[in-house]
Amino acid sequence: MAIKFQNVSKAFGGTCVVDDLSLEIDDGEFVVLLGPSGCGKTTTLRMLAGLETVTSGDIYIDGERINDVPTQHRDLAMVFQSYALYPHMTIAENIGYPLRVRKLQKAERAERVNRVAAMLEIESLLERKPRQLSGGERQRVALARAIVREPRAYLMDEPLSNLDARLRVQMRGELKRLQHQLRTTTIYVTHDQAEAMTLASRVAVMKKGRLQQFDTPMNIYNQPANRFVAEFVGSPSMNFIEGEVQGATFVSDSLRVPLSGEQLSRLSGHSRLTMGIRPEHIQVLTGPRDGAIAASVYVTELMGNETFVFLSVGANRLIARAPADFRAELESKVWLRLATEKMHFFDPSTDYTDRSV
Amino acid sequence: MIKNFRYILLWPALLFALAPVYWMLTISLKTEVDQFASPPVWFTFTPTLAHYYDAFMTRGFGQYLLTSAIVAVASTACALSIGTLAAYALARFELPWHLNRRLSLWILSTRMFPAIVTAVPLFLMMRDLRLLNTRASLIIVYTAFNLPFVVWMMRGFFADLPRDLEEAALVDGDSRLGALVRVVLPLVAPGLAATAVFCLIVSWNEFLFALVLTQTDAAMTLPVGIAGRVTQYEIKWGVMSAAASVAIVPILVFALSVQKYLVRGLSMGAVKG
Repeated sequence: MAIKFQNVSKAFGGTCVVDDLSLEIDDGEFVVLLGPSGCGKTTTLRMLAGLETVTSGDIYIDGERINDVPTQHRDLAMVFQSYALYPHMTIAENIGYPLRVRKLQKAERAERVNRVAAMLEIESLLERKPRQLSGGERQRVALARAIVREPRAYLMDEPLSNLDARLRVQMRGELKRLQHQLRTTTIYVTHDQAEAMTLASRVAVMKKGRLQQFDTPMNIYNQPANRFVAEFVGSPSMNFIEGEVQGATFVSDSLRVPLSGEQLSRLSGHSRLTMGIRPEHIQVLTGPRDGAIAASVYVTELMGNETFVFLSVGANRLIARAPADFRAELESKVWLRLATEKMHFFDPSTDYTDRSV
Repeated sequence: MIKNFRYILLWPALLFALAPVYWMLTISLKTEVDQFASPPVWFTFTPTLAHYYDAFMTRGFGQYLLTSAIVAVASTACALSIGTLAAYALARFELPWHLNRRLSLWILSTRMFPAIVTAVPLFLMMRDLRLLNTRASLIIVYTAFNLPFVVWMMRGFFADLPRDLEEAALVDGDSRLGALVRVVLPLVAPGLAATAVFCLIVSWNEFLFALVLTQTDAAMTLPVGIAGRVTQYEIKWGVMSAAASVAIVPILVFALSVQKYLVRGLSMGAVKG
């Protein structure tokens, strides 16, 4: 099912929560709405579900304008952050509820509930009440209730945020398989960039009600549209250094990086710039090399499979990824080599909302 | 230590509350001679059921009891169904111009003047509607008087309920009313029970309007019937006590049977659970 937001805005009182959002989601896509809390992603989802009215603009499902279609007639399924299981019903009744309100025969209802329960491996829980279940089990029940009636699309509002870290990674994988299996359009809201990167076919990054970038995870990561996207996606975060172009070199108070001809032509006309570089594109060397930048080790964090090296370069603080066997004393002197072709440049005068240059 | 001390305080309180009930019960079982004995006969008297026989077999107290029951149950049912819907709307739908708050206060304000003020106007209205001496008149009046309490009590219970559950029901394809009946009401059942008990007790014990609006035996409720035994020539203490003892039984039974819900209902929302 294709979904289209056209210039959709939502205001509560005087505050604009979603600002002129236009988004086209293709049939069968897994789209993640990503952003910090308060960016309007949940409100966007709730407008699509019909739980919030649209202040202006239009929402279309398969070409049909649904602004005024009541929630119960939109044929969407939603998984709530709180799971919203009906506490007075058994698990079987919870999963069967969407079928019950559609007046399906009891036998067919039971059959479909059992089939979905088997798919999610919760058959043994069917007679219990929600309060007797663990967080992970409740999550599965909420999913089962969404899947059981084969809706036009799934809406998921931070469905994994109440699970512990290990379970979250496991469920993330299962969600992905499930969507692959069902091939139903899914809109998924999260503030966790790892979920966005792993699950999405396309990610819509939002900030303060405005869409920042809508693209594949690879493009979001490799070609962030602006500094906000660059900073929000990736862990540890991208490094940023203020500076300017002098001749054929990017110069800041503590480092000088030569620029390629292609970069120079792109940057012509900009004087002040913010350079961004991801931690994996900074190589930390223990001895001086030609063209390497002198730095000192602020602290190192061994992650097991790799080491995060926090560096002081003049007044700037940078993070680099180094191999797990990297060892350096605090305050010891190291040299950095930047992968210059991987540098991003942003216009600091527009700061967070600029396009990258 | 503190716990024991609390119990020591409870005993006099219990005594204070139950002594009149005990007195009423014993009077209903005493012969007239024992009733007026001085010093009073507290425990050792020969019990008799004569007053009960008198009240319910020879006089019309059975009829009053039936009327009371019908009026109380019907008015409670009306007040609950109307009030619950109103409370749900006030708790969940955002009306323009701060109407949620204003309407709620307006509804409550109908209970801010003394009931007696409305006695004469209601009498005249019921007369014009040809409803004097009917159960319908009492059902209408009690419904109106219980409605503000139902709205305010239920509004609190609804407000405490997470919206997610109803929204989930709507997304699952249910209508507003379906979600209310299948999801919301079962979850506020304790609140409904507490509210119902409250309405039943008020209607069951009501005296003023029953006295003003009904004069015939067929339409009279128990409180009025009992008070009617205070006559010019004699006060039938035995009959009155017997009828009053019977009158407390239904409320007692109902309150005990929903006690579990009652405590939960009255403390609902006090602690986030």
